[in-house]
Amino acid sequence: MRGEHISFRSGALIEVEVDYVIVGSGPGGSAAAAILSRAGRTVALCEAGAWRDTPHLPATLFGAMRDLFSDFGQMMTRGRSMIPIVQASCVGGTGVINSAIVVRTPESILEGWARDHGLGDFLTPAAVERAQTEIEAELDVAAMGEGQLGRHDRLLLKALEATGREGHPTARSAGDCRGSGACLQGCPTGAKRTGNLTWIPEVLDAGGCVLSCAPVSRVVFEGERAVGVRGRFRHPDRAYHGPKGAAFRVRARRGVLIAASATGSAPLLARSGVRLPALGTGFRAHPGSGVIGVYPERVDPLIGTTQGASSVHHSGDLGIKLESLTLPLDLLPSRLSGAGSTLARSLAESSHMAMWVAAVNAEAEGTVHGARLPTLRGGPYGKNVVSYQPTQGDIARLRAGCATIARLHFEAGATKVLPGIHGVPVELDRDQIHLIEEAPLDNRAWTWILSHLFGTCALGADPARSVVGPDLHVHGRKNLHVVDASCLPTTLGVNPQHTIQAVARLTAERLANTEAA
Amino acid sequence: MRSIARKRWRRTKVRVLSAIIPATGAVPGIDPERCAEFLTRYRREAPFLPRLALNLSVLVFLLSPPLTGAGLRPALALSPDRLEHHCEGLGRHRLYHLRQVTLMLKTVAGLVWGADPAVRDSLGLAPYAEDPTDWRTE
Repeated sequence: MRGEHISFRSGALIEVEVDYVIVGSGPGGSAAAAILSRAGRTVALCEAGAWRDTPHLPATLFGAMRDLFSDFGQMMTRGRSMIPIVQASCVGGTGVINSAIVVRTPESILEGWARDHGLGDFLTPAAVERAQTEIEAELDVAAMGEGQLGRHDRLLLKALEATGREGHPTARSAGDCRGSGACLQGCPTGAKRTGNLTWIPEVLDAGGCVLSCAPVSRVVFEGERAVGVRGRFRHPDRAYHGPKGAAFRVRARRGVLIAASATGSAPLLARSGVRLPALGTGFRAHPGSGVIGVYPERVDPLIGTTQGASSVHHSGDLGIKLESLTLPLDLLPSRLSGAGSTLARSLAESSHMAMWVAAVNAEAEGTVHGARLPTLRGGPYGKNVVSYQPTQGDIARLRAGCATIARLHFEAGATKVLPGIHGVPVELDRDQIHLIEEAPLDNRAWTWILSHLFGTCALGADPARSVVGPDLHVHGRKNLHVVDASCLPTTLGVNPQHTIQAVARLTAERLANTEAA
Repeated sequence: MRSIARKRWRRTKVRVLSAIIPATGAVPGIDPERCAEFLTRYRREAPFLPRLALNLSVLVFLLSPPLTGAGLRPALALSPDRLEHHCEGLGRHRLYHLRQVTLMLKTVAGLVWGADPAVRDSLGLAPYAEDPTDWRTE
């Protein structure tokens, strides 16, 4: 029997009863939902955002901010500098707007977790590898081919090869990518195999339920046992002035899984009465920035994959990963230095630009919590407050990464680079790269962006230092698990989506198998 | 009266955003008509805080020429050269929060400029389709 999708509605209380309720439909939530559904469990997925199929996806960046991004794309870190955080709020989660890059979890990371956080026999390298192999088969993962790469990708690969550095076309869960260069607005061709196109329809086919426009306000407990969630539907159109959304309650006979992201899961648990010293702490990320190269010939960065080339050559010595990146034309002005004629002259060269970014495997730690003052409920931009600032060491790594990128651009034939660093000239030639290396170690001088978020409900054996145990079960509670990036106790140094999916999948398998036994 | 004030304020915002991305010989700048339409849409569809941030940023831009050495008049009363100096100076100001004002203006100006079919055509890009306004309800 096909299940039901319940979108916004007003009126009487909506009640649903299932085996498992999962909060959040991103990579973690959708992966767990599919596995539990296949095991014969009824599943309800609660997603704060709307469900937008491919024809509903916006074309413009403004449309993406309105329809897909969390908090209208204005979610920022709090601290010395304001760093934008890229997250989505829609069925499919951040997978809808990211570049679907697939990188297996480094074995050294899993070994470190086992050593330092007491993983036991759960997330073993062999188990994670098996889960990731299965996910790759299900999601059409492939390295981008020559016909899919853009010229900005090929230039990066060429420069890496010419300088003897490792470089490779990225593997993405978008084997049929047609190079629209519009990942940020949601794939217009449906080639990106996001949860809303793959695993979530499978959940519906298996008789499950999807509640969209349904932000969960609390997990409901009976004693220490999680028995469901509750919330109220929220209309996705800000201009809507009709009756307010109906309240909903989802009762879960067997368990509640939280997959509301590294910025959402901890505040939800805190609102629900979970009190653990580590809750909301240990927030980590891969902050990054980029350098734009201007080439004598057309690069046409919006033709080809959004992120088709990458390098882990400097993961060890500099702690950075290099990637190509395409920005929509609507976003480019905010990334370039200057305003007025200087900015306009730079923009006129946009078809000759290639942007490559350095993502820093940062040592900085921050916190995430819900706003404490009722008048500031939800923090300055709407929801949860993320306090996070890269350390001096992180800035030094970024600085070294940006200087490396500038050299690679010149190796690939660029005539100048645009570093976008305050205190450094707008344009640099080959002889001025040292100015990047001498740029201030001040967060405020750099144009950061925060992606790849981790922690706040970190796993570990010790309840004083962690929120979930080695099996991702919340300490001191029954039938409550966390299956998203928030449970990862450290950064990965690589794109995290594949790890999140594998961890969620293994947790769901364990739940299904435990019950079967 | 309120409607007239609102229209005047919108025209002011259009002029400020046009100063952020002016036309060059090769590529069009912000088209005032499109910009006005966009600001109407922004007012309707953006949440309160981003709208407030845009209005405050425009206000700071207008009142801050003394801080950039561009003169003592409001920004839009400056000569084109001094306005250009002000734009550049605000974007490179030593005070971080003033630079953030320019960033906010550049972000909104970018949303208008990058979606303009004439701009996209001049850079060899296809025009954007209309943004849908629906979602899956069943």
